[in-house]
Amino acid sequence: MSLGYHPLVKQLLDGELSLAELPPELRAEGAEALRLIGAVDRRPVVLSAALDDRVMAVVRQHAASRTRRAWHWLTAPRDVELRLRLRPVVWAGALAIAAGVALLLLGRVPASAPVPASVARSGARDSVFVRFVLYAPGARHVAVAGTFNQWDLNAAPLARAGSSGVWTTTLALPVGQHQYAFVVDGERWVADPAAPAIDDGFGRRNSMVAVTLRGARTL
Amino acid sequence: MGLAGDATDGEVVRAVLGGEVERYAVLVHRYRDRYARYAARMLGSLDAGEDAVQDALVRAFDRLADCREPDKFAGWLFLILRNRCYAERRRQQREGRPLDERDDGVAAADRPDGTYEQTERMRALERSLGHLTPEQREVFVLKHMEGLAYDEIAGRTGATVASLKMRMHRAYDRLRDLMKEHL
Repeated sequence: MSLGYHPLVKQLLDGELSLAELPPELRAEGAEALRLIGAVDRRPVVLSAALDDRVMAVVRQHAASRTRRAWHWLTAPRDVELRLRLRPVVWAGALAIAAGVALLLLGRVPASAPVPASVARSGARDSVFVRFVLYAPGARHVAVAGTFNQWDLNAAPLARAGSSGVWTTTLALPVGQHQYAFVVDGERWVADPAAPAIDDGFGRRNSMVAVTLRGARTL
Repeated sequence: MGLAGDATDGEVVRAVLGGEVERYAVLVHRYRDRYARYAARMLGSLDAGEDAVQDALVRAFDRLADCREPDKFAGWLFLILRNRCYAERRRQQREGRPLDERDDGVAAADRPDGTYEQTERMRALERSLGHLTPEQREVFVLKHMEGLAYDEIAGRTGATVASLKMRMHRAYDRLRDLMKEHL
């Protein structure tokens, strides 16, 4: 059976007591314990001089690969499908159509195809319910900002749909064309990958949605 | 800007995220040796430690956008390295390979300033550390090799001071048992 150190000797090893502060009967044990700590090798460890170059070589590869993926995603042709769905029982005369689903893999460029989501026409004559959906499993807060709310980051928060990582909100948008983008965690602007994006003139990309009385479609 | 060594971590992180990939070299140079001893002692091997540091630096670059507080890059990088070391230790344990079986250990082999007895004791301690749990080994390395206080270790690892002391005190007992022929 092993014999552990006395609690006061452990305090000695922790630097909370000196050897002289130990009771005389514990000083031999304390001296032994100090021999153990005295065997600690504190010399610095120096890594290979080539490590910096190796890391940077890999980093450059990863950065280039990331750029290629982003360019491919931006330039690859894609279909944006809009579906009109008439429901047998329509609440307030609502009409469901598709607007777009944004797939966001935080920290990465999304690579999946757009998925239709539902949009409903509001009871008002000049506005249509548009449903915004974002897949952002790592997000703490998601909002949609656009020309319809003066790009207010706080005006249209999305609600988390269970634990699936999907965030959603439905807004009544006036008829017309709107630019929009998602805002993740209050600081990260993300264009809707399910919709073509346009340059906003300030280096960012916005998505476009056209709202008509017959529904909405991404441009 | 070049590889200015006086830029803060936060400035460099933001520059890299803005597309200046080459500026990541500043962070590589700044932290490669700072965490080298921790990694080497945790894994019992200079080569394994170097692999871990390299891997952690690459992973940190890949996830840089997730670094929510760029000015605290050092602590964030440490956690990545720490996870890497723990994963490597688990892999070694699954393979039934204790640290002291490695042939490139970092224990002092030929210290010019030590007696034969001291050198043997250092080697014995290095071997004995390989028999501690990763948690015990970590607190021993950070306190007695890196010279950190308990509250500093708590800040780095997220553990409480009380739990760190408990791990350390168990490590003392275990080391006394393993080192009894050398004390």
